[in-house]
Amino acid sequence: MTTTQRQSPPAGAPTGSAPSGPASNRRAGGRPKLSEKKRDGIAGYLFLTPWLIGFFVLTLGPMLISLYLAFTKYNLFTDPEWIGLDNFTRMFADPQYQQSVQITLVYVLVGTPIKLAAALGVAMLLNYRSKGTGFFRSAFYAPSLIGASVSVAIVWRAMFNADGPVDTGLGFLGVDVGGWVGNPALVMPMMILLAVWQFGAPMVIFLAGLKQIPGELYEAADVDGAGPWRKFRSVTLPMLSPVIFFNLLLEMIGAFQIFASAFIISSGTGGPAGSTNFYTVYLYQRAFGDLQMGYASAMAWLLLVVVGIAAFVLFRTSKFWVHYGGDLK
Amino acid sequence: MFYKHSRRTATAVAATAATILALTGCAGSGPAAEGGSTFDPDKEVTVNFTWWGNDDRAAKYTEAIELFEKEYPNVTVNGTFTDYPSYWEKRTTEAAGGGLPDVMQFDYSQMDSFGSRGLLYNLTPEYGENIDVDSIPESALSVGDIDGDSYGLISSTNAWAMFQDKTQLASLGLEPYEGGTGWDDYYDWIADVTAKGGGVYGGADPTQRIQNFELSLRQEGENLYTDKGELGFDEGDLTDFWESASDIRKSDIVPQQRLEELNPVSGFGANIAASELTWDNFGAGYIADSGKSVDDIVLTTPPTSDADAKDLYLKPSMLLAMSSKTKVGAAGAKLIDFLTNSPEVGKIFGASRGIPASETQRDGAELSGQDANVLAYEESITDRLGDAPPLPPEGAASIEQKFWDLGKSIDLGAISIDDAVKQFFDEAEIALNN
Repeated sequence: MTTTQRQSPPAGAPTGSAPSGPASNRRAGGRPKLSEKKRDGIAGYLFLTPWLIGFFVLTLGPMLISLYLAFTKYNLFTDPEWIGLDNFTRMFADPQYQQSVQITLVYVLVGTPIKLAAALGVAMLLNYRSKGTGFFRSAFYAPSLIGASVSVAIVWRAMFNADGPVDTGLGFLGVDVGGWVGNPALVMPMMILLAVWQFGAPMVIFLAGLKQIPGELYEAADVDGAGPWRKFRSVTLPMLSPVIFFNLLLEMIGAFQIFASAFIISSGTGGPAGSTNFYTVYLYQRAFGDLQMGYASAMAWLLLVVVGIAAFVLFRTSKFWVHYGGDLK
Repeated sequence: MFYKHSRRTATAVAATAATILALTGCAGSGPAAEGGSTFDPDKEVTVNFTWWGNDDRAAKYTEAIELFEKEYPNVTVNGTFTDYPSYWEKRTTEAAGGGLPDVMQFDYSQMDSFGSRGLLYNLTPEYGENIDVDSIPESALSVGDIDGDSYGLISSTNAWAMFQDKTQLASLGLEPYEGGTGWDDYYDWIADVTAKGGGVYGGADPTQRIQNFELSLRQEGENLYTDKGELGFDEGDLTDFWESASDIRKSDIVPQQRLEELNPVSGFGANIAASELTWDNFGAGYIADSGKSVDDIVLTTPPTSDADAKDLYLKPSMLLAMSSKTKVGAAGAKLIDFLTNSPEVGKIFGASRGIPASETQRDGAELSGQDANVLAYEESITDRLGDAPPLPPEGAASIEQKFWDLGKSIDLGAISIDDAVKQFFDEAEIALNN
């Protein structure tokens, strides 16, 4: 709505004065000149205020304070004491910290590719039209829905204990490894298996990506005499690369932040012998077990920086292997 | 042990801490306690009360609270509970935010952290007014003192002890360890049981627990911590202690890998270890875990290098304290009084909180079964009881956990004793100066 419409001149008034009238009125009243676009913008921001308040008060504010705390010694009771870079230098001399970085990196670098490969493999199987695909899709997705829950980690723990189903099953095959949960060397494979098993989310995204690949490409490849492997390498992978990139990024960031399953499987101790002391588990212990909030804040910020760098590197490499629609050769 | 289960991203963890700060500002010291308040029975008051423990303890507290509310109809008690580790996570964050519950079950090792910062209510003016302390021995009453004022009232005591399963041992044709002899004797006994046990071990590695180290220090007249809150031992002492178990570590003790899988049930609780050193009030938990009966369990004195040493002591197993910012004053004090002195409450709890410190409550407790065993044990050790060690400094709880974790890593072969000693002292220095 504009004022001009409301103040349409009476019939017979000189047409020449019509435009100047409303314009001078507006100036006299001191009302701001707002275009429709601007007003929409303001309304938009008004609607956003609850979220903005939440963002500034509950997210950005605390994050900035934790950045400050990262340079202090703070135990929740006494005022933070500025100690400069001491928290960061301490990390590099802290054997537990180094161990937690090491196992977290192994988990990210080994676990993520395996999980994505599993997700892609199952997605490709489910991409075939056959009876019961709907059921299988739901069935394979289910572990991810319940996967983050406490109960699954508890079940997992029971399964991999000495004399649990896994130990017994392997015993039948003549492999006698005993329990996995108490063995520092076998906890990592178990954790990775748990992560891989929860492949549902990337699988669904892969499936959607697979559906987008035009069938003509496969037909053309058939005509050229390409076998299944060739089709996979030369059609599926390049066409799917944006989706792979997306999944890789999300899963990598998620893997860096592994917490709940490790926390439950070790009963919160990060044991045995620190083998489930993943980065965020250790951070949590330092913060809430030992009340070393400054040190924990410093750890959190270093993690943020490292994940940021990893994501950046991934983005930079993407131009070599991610093909978006237009540049298909 | 169970911990709180929640998923937190790295930043969220730090952000939570920071949020508390941002929203509430740092906790200043509380206002000076205006003690000796008079209780007005006609005023309606709600008292928030919290404790750590399992469902069993919760049921008992609920019963006790009902009795209290019957006696004081205008006081409503709001009870909440959680397991031990998350209990302190919650209390510390609340302390930072200035919102501690009115009445809290408290641990000896945390008294100094909270009390010396003005977070707890001065109970001294309430004594004789709203809290009857006549039936609590003077020595026990003073354990909650900081600079001459009382900030926590002892509710019960426990002592370090050895649990053994005599039925299991008899079925193997073996006698229980007699107690009170040298550590070598005990280790020989462990080796013997393991050799004949057919899958049952003599015990777990006692050097994992800082209490056993404390015992060996007290046998030499030392303590874990000095009066000034510094470590009362050096690298050499700790190295010797951990190395003292090197012989049984090879094959006589329950393999740590098994224990990791059983956690939070212990080797004794899972019936694969015939003996275990721990606090004497843990019997009920063992019975629940293992299916043993009271008659199977025998409590003996821990080994000692010096039969005349006064190395054991009665520790307050728990205290009751109030927040310095509480607005309920007298009503909270009345609750503490009731929970500490009431014979009916004693009957409900038995010795599951430890042996009641108040004589009236102890008499009402009608201790039987395992509770009677504990009482008999605590009476049997009077010759070995020495003075309680100085109030543990802040950071003691985290040092105790670190000690335990390193002991487990040594048994798993994941760290050498020398490296573990170095790590322990590095961590202890940080924890004591946090």
